[in-house]
Amino acid sequence: MAAPKSCALWSYCGRGWSLAMRGGQLLGLRSSWPGTPLSARLLSQEKRATETHFGFETVPEEEKGGKVYQVFESVAKKYDVMNDMMSLGIHRVWKDLLLWKMRPLPGTQLLDVAGGTGDIAFRFLNYVQSHHQSKQKRQLRAQQNLSWEEIAKKYQNEEDSLGGSRVVVCDINKEMLKVGKQKALAQGYRAGESFTDSRMPIAFGIRRVIAAALQEAHRVLKPGGRFLCLEFSQVNNPLISRLYDLYSFQVIPVLGEVIAGDWKSYQYLVESIRRFPSQEEFKEMIEDAGFHKVTYESLTSGIVAIHSGFKL
Amino acid sequence: MATLLRPVLRRLRGLPEMPLRARSDGAGPLYSHHIPTSPLQKALLAAGSAAMALYDPYRHDMVAVLGETTGHRTLKVLRDQMRRDPEGAQILQERPRISTSTLDLGKLQSLPEDSLGREYLRFLDVNRVSPDTRAPTRFVDDEELAYVIQRYREVHDMLHTLLGMPTSILGEIVVKWFEAVQTGLPMCILGALFGPIQLSAQSLQVLVSELIPWAVQNGRTAPCVLNLYYERRWEQSLRALREELGITAPPVHIQGLA
Repeated sequence: MAAPKSCALWSYCGRGWSLAMRGGQLLGLRSSWPGTPLSARLLSQEKRATETHFGFETVPEEEKGGKVYQVFESVAKKYDVMNDMMSLGIHRVWKDLLLWKMRPLPGTQLLDVAGGTGDIAFRFLNYVQSHHQSKQKRQLRAQQNLSWEEIAKKYQNEEDSLGGSRVVVCDINKEMLKVGKQKALAQGYRAGESFTDSRMPIAFGIRRVIAAALQEAHRVLKPGGRFLCLEFSQVNNPLISRLYDLYSFQVIPVLGEVIAGDWKSYQYLVESIRRFPSQEEFKEMIEDAGFHKVTYESLTSGIVAIHSGFKL
Repeated sequence: MATLLRPVLRRLRGLPEMPLRARSDGAGPLYSHHIPTSPLQKALLAAGSAAMALYDPYRHDMVAVLGETTGHRTLKVLRDQMRRDPEGAQILQERPRISTSTLDLGKLQSLPEDSLGREYLRFLDVNRVSPDTRAPTRFVDDEELAYVIQRYREVHDMLHTLLGMPTSILGEIVVKWFEAVQTGLPMCILGALFGPIQLSAQSLQVLVSELIPWAVQNGRTAPCVLNLYYERRWEQSLRALREELGITAPPVHIQGLA
C-alpha cells in the first residue's frame, strides 16, 4: 500500500510548517505545491451548543464509512503509536515547545502543512481556546455591573470560543486527514473539507524541493506572517550522535516491523533524516527564500530543531 | 541559486556523503526481499516478534519473523539433512515452490479420492485457505537457508493433510508439536509450548492427554518431512503415504473442539 508508507514519513517527522497569519484568505493552495495530489482541510472553530447534535451526526457517518474507516484509522493509529515508541514520547514535548514558541493569539490563522492527523493543529486550537477563555474570564470580572441593553447585546453576539482563529491542515495523504477530521469532530470542532488536486512534477533532489517549498511558504504568507518549522536536524554532541545513530539504525526499523509490519519505510526514514540540512544550512536556505529575523533552536541535543522566520 | 550549489560545494570540500545503512550488516541483499540485519537487530526482532505474536495472535507475520531470526542454526542442520537424502537433495537443487501459480489445480481436482493431490485440495477447500498466504523470507542471511525455511512454510499445509488436522487453533497446535519434533526450529518449539495458553480447559485436557503424545510419537518415527518431493507424489494414495511415513490415525476427532 503506497498510502501508509508516505503517511508514516509525514506523521513521524511531525513536519508541521506552521504559517501563522493574521486574518486573510488561506485557500490559495491550488497552485504549485510540491508533491502529488494535495488535500486541504479547513478546520473551523465553532463549538456550538449543538455539540451533542454533531456527536450524533458523526455516528451515522462512521457507520457508513464502516470498515474502510476502521482500516485507515488503525493504520494511522499505528503510526501514532510508532511516534510514541520511537521517540519515547518525546515528540509530544517537541510539539508542545513549537506551540509555546509560536504563542498564537486568538484570531491567528494557522496553515499546518504536512499536518497528518493534526497533532499541531489540535495543540494550536487548545492553546488559542484556553487563551481566549482566560481573556473572557478577565472580561467577565470587569463587567459585573452592566446595563440591560449591554446584557441583551451580549446575547445577540454569538461569541465563538476561539476568537476567530482557524486552522487549515494540509497533507499529501488523504487517510491521515480523514483520521484528523474524525478527531476534530469528536472534539466538537466543525470540520469542512476541500480537496484540491495539484501536481508538480518532482525531478530534482531533496534540497531543491526544500528551496521550492520555502519559496512557496514565503509567497503564501502575508506581510507580518511567521514561518515556523519543526524538523529533524544535526546532533551537536558526538557521543549523543553515536548513540542516536545506533538507536536509529538498530532499533527503529525493528520497531517499524514489529508494530507496523513495515521495516522498509522506517529504514528509509532514518536514512533520509541523515540527508537533511544542518541547523545553519537550513537557516541560510530560509533566509534565501526571503524571510527575515531567521532564528533556530535545537531541541534534545539537536535531534530536532525549530526554525523561525518572518515575512516582513 | 546558492542553495542549489551547496551540496556540490559540500562534496568539493571533501565532506563524506551521508552513510546509508551505516549500521546494518555489511553485505547487500542476497535474494529478493532479503533485508540484511545485524546480530543486535536480529535479537531485538526475535524478542519483539515473540512478544507481539503473543499479544496479538492475528499477527502471523510476527510468527514468521520469529522463525527467521531464531532458526539459523537449525536451518543449517535441516539443510544438511536434506542434502544427505536423495529426494531432499533434489528438492534443494530444483527448488520447487507451492503456490497457486505453480499448482495445476485442475489436474489435482481430477485425481482419484484418497490421492495426496485430491486430499490436499480438499483440505484447502474445507478450511478455506490458499497456498499463497506465505510471506516471503526476509531475515535469513543465507540464500539456500532462506529457501529451506520457505519450503518448510509451504509444506505446512501438506502436514495438515497428512496428519488430518484442521486449521483450528487446536489443529495448528498439534501440527506445531509435530513440526517441533521433526525440525527442531525454535519457533515451532515456542509455538508448541505457548500456543495452548489460549485454550479452554477441556481442549487443553484432550490436547495433553491424547493429541500431543500422538503428535510427538509420529514426529519421532516419521522421516524428515522436508525430504518429500510432494509435487511428484500427487497421485500417491494418502493411506500408502501415511504408511510409508509411519503416521497413524489421530486418536480423537477434533473437529468439534475449539
